[in-house]
Amino acid sequence: MSAPALSLRGLHKSFGATSILRDVSLDIPAGTRHAIIGPNGAGKSTLFHLITGRLRLDRGSVWLAGDDITGQSPHAIFRRGLARSFQVTSLFPRLSVFENLRIAGMRAAGCGHAFWRRIDGFRDLTARIEEMLALLDLGPRRDVAAGALAYAEQRALEIGLALVGGAHTILLDEPTAGMSRAETERAVALLRRLSAGRTLVMIEHDLSVVFDLADAITVLADGGVVASGPPEAVRGDARVRAAYLGAAAEVLT
Amino acid sequence: MPGETQLPASVSVRPARWSGRGAILSWGIAIVIALIAPHLMASGFGLSLLCRMAIAIVFALSFNMLLGQGGMLDFGHAVFFGLGGFATMHLLKLVDAGLVLPVVILPLAGALGGGLAALPAGWLATRREGTSFAMITLGIAELAVALVVMIPQWFGGEEGVSGDRSGGVALFGFDFGSALQIYYVLAAWAVIAAALMWGVTRTPLGRLGNAVRDNPLRVDFLGYDPARIRFLTFLLAGIFAGVAGGMQALNDEIMTVSNIGSAASGAVLLMTYIGGVGTFSGPVIGAVLVTLLQVALGTVTDAWQLYSGLIFIVMVLWAPGGISGIVQSHAPILRAGRGARLLGPYLALAPAMLLTLAGTVGLAELAYRLQAVRGGAKAGRLFGLTVTPTDPWQWLIPLALFILGAVLVHRLAPPARAAWQDAAAQTARGGA
Ligand SMILES: Nc1ncnc2c1ncn2[C@@H]1O[C@H](COP(=O)(O)OP(=O)(O)O)[C@@H](O)[C@H]1O
Ligand SMILES: [Mg+2]
Repeated sequence: MSAPALSLRGLHKSFGATSILRDVSLDIPAGTRHAIIGPNGAGKSTLFHLITGRLRLDRGSVWLAGDDITGQSPHAIFRRGLARSFQVTSLFPRLSVFENLRIAGMRAAGCGHAFWRRIDGFRDLTARIEEMLALLDLGPRRDVAAGALAYAEQRALEIGLALVGGAHTILLDEPTAGMSRAETERAVALLRRLSAGRTLVMIEHDLSVVFDLADAITVLADGGVVASGPPEAVRGDARVRAAYLGAAAEVLT
Repeated sequence: MPGETQLPASVSVRPARWSGRGAILSWGIAIVIALIAPHLMASGFGLSLLCRMAIAIVFALSFNMLLGQGGMLDFGHAVFFGLGGFATMHLLKLVDAGLVLPVVILPLAGALGGGLAALPAGWLATRREGTSFAMITLGIAELAVALVVMIPQWFGGEEGVSGDRSGGVALFGFDFGSALQIYYVLAAWAVIAAALMWGVTRTPLGRLGNAVRDNPLRVDFLGYDPARIRFLTFLLAGIFAGVAGGMQALNDEIMTVSNIGSAASGAVLLMTYIGGVGTFSGPVIGAVLVTLLQVALGTVTDAWQLYSGLIFIVMVLWAPGGISGIVQSHAPILRAGRGARLLGPYLALAPAMLLTLAGTVGLAELAYRLQAVRGGAKAGRLFGLTVTPTDPWQWLIPLALFILGAVLVHRLAPPARAAWQDAAAQTARGGA
C-alpha cells in the first residue's frame, strides 16, 4: 500500500504551561475525505497550524506522502502539495477576486518570481482561474476587491484559494462556518467535485456536512484523539458520545 | 499600516480590458508632453525645472514600488539614489579622463550602484515587515551617511564628487552640454525607467508584491516566501532609485552626502504620498507637483518646508489616497454623469477652504518673518500689504481668517462628503 497522504506521529503542543495536544497520532490514506470534529477549543485549528508549519511542534513528526515535513516553512510545505484554508478568513483585501485566485494558482502554474514575464501571458493559469470563478459562483464579482465582498462570498473565496493551486492534500478549517443552508449545500457539492482524486481533511462543526462528505471521522477532545474511523463506527462509539456528541447526539440517531 | 487606503463600500478594481486601452492612451499623452514641454518652457529656468521633474518621477516611482505596491515604508530610499549617483559620477570622471563611453548610458552605472547597495540593505531589512522594516531602513540610512562621510576618497567629503558631462567624446555632434540636450536624455531615461517599472507591476513578482502588502501570512501558505518577494522588490526599487541618482549626477554634475541623507529620503516620501500611493500614476503626479511647488514657492517664500509639511499632514489626515486617490474616487462618478450633483456642495466648501488656506499662509508667513525681522531683515509684503510681524494686531487678521475658515469647513465638509458618498454608491449600483 502507498504511504498515507498525511501521517501524524505523536504530536505534542503546549502554549506556555497549558498543554493543548498530547500524543496525537493519525494516518489519513491518500484520496480520502477525512473530517475532524470536536468541541471548541479542543485544538483542531492548532493541529492544522502544526501540520502546515504555522506553529512549531514540541514533539512528534508530520509526514506528507511519505516525506518528513516536520519543521519546514509553510511555503515549503505548500510546494510539496499541501494547501489549506483558514477558520478566520485570510484574503488579499485590496486585490480583486480574480487576482486573489491567481495568486493562489501561481506556484502551480510555474510563475516563479519572474519579473520579466507578463502575468497575463500565463494563459493556462488564467483559464483555470476563470473556471474556478464559475465553480465558486463568483463570476460576476470577478473584478471586485476581496475586501468589499459579502461575508459568504469571502468564505467561498477562502475555500477557492485552497483548491485552485492543484495541491494533492487540502486542509479546510471550518469551510462552511457562517454559511446559510443553501450556501452550505453548494459548498458541499463543490468540495465533493473538487476533492475527487485528492485528499481532503476538514474541520467541520456541521455534522450533516460531516456525515454527507467524510469517508472517515476523527474526534478530537481533551488534547487527544478520542475516536477515529469510518462514520458508522464513530457514530456508535460510546466515548465519543460522552466526550463530544452529547448535545448533538440526536443528529446521529 | 503605511499606504493603506480606505475601500469604499463596493470598490471595483478596473477590468484588464479597459486598463489596456487606457494605459496606451496615458502613455501616449505622457510621451507627447515630455516631447513638447521644453518648447513651452524654453527658458533656462523652465528647462532645469523639467529636468528635476524627470529625475523626481523616476525616484518617486521607485519609492512606490516599495510603499504602494509592496507595503514597505523605506525611510532611507535616498541611499540607493545617492549611491547610484556617486557610481555614475565616478564613471563620468573616467569618461572625462578619456574612457570612450557615451555619456547617455551612464545612468546604467546608477542602476548598478543602487542595486549593489540594495543587496545588503535589502537582505537586512526585508526579513521583517511593517514597523520593524521601516526602523531597519532608518538605521541603514544613518549607516550609509556615516560611511560616505568616513570615506572621503570615494565620496569627496564635504565638497562631494563632481565631473563634466560634456567632457566625453561627442556622440553624433551632441555633447550634452546644453540644457535642452540634457533634458531629452533625462526625459528618455524617465520614460524608459517608468515603462519598465510599470511593466514590473504586471508580472508575477509585481502581483506577488501586492499580495505580500495585503497579507504576507497567506502568501506563505500559497507557496511563496514573503521575505524573498520583499527582497526582490527591494532590489528592483534600489536599482531604479539608482537610475534616478544617475540622472541627477548627469544633470547636476555633482553628488554630495546631502543626496543620500534623510532630507532627500523624506522628500521622496512626501511627493509619493501627496501624489498618491494607490495608483501607478500617483507618484508621477506627486513628483511633478511637488517639484513645481518647491521651485515656485521657493522663489516667493523661504517657508517652503513649512508648507510642504502642512500639505503632507493635511493629505495624510483627509486624503490618504493622495491626489490620484481623489481623482480615482471621482472619475467613475463623472463618467456616469453624476458630477453635477457634487457641484453645489463642493462650490460651497471651496471658499471656506480658501479662507482657511489664506489664514494659514498669513500665520505661517508672519511666524516665519518674525524670525527674519528679529535677525534684522526686512519683512516685505504679503497679499499687497506691508507685513509687520512684531505688531500683534497684524496676527489677528490671519487668525480670524483661519478660525472663520475652519469653522465653515467643519460645517460644510460633511454635506460635501455625504454628496460624494451618495454619488459613489449610486454609481456603483447603477454602473454594474
Ligand atoms: N497562540 C496561542 N497561544 C495561546 N493559546 C492558544 C493559542 N492558539 C490557541 N490557543 C488555545 O488553544 C486551545 C485550542 O485552540 P484551537 O486549536 O483554536 O481550538 P479549536 O480549533 O479546536 O476550536 C484553545 O484553548 C485556545 O485558547
Ligand atoms: Mg478552530
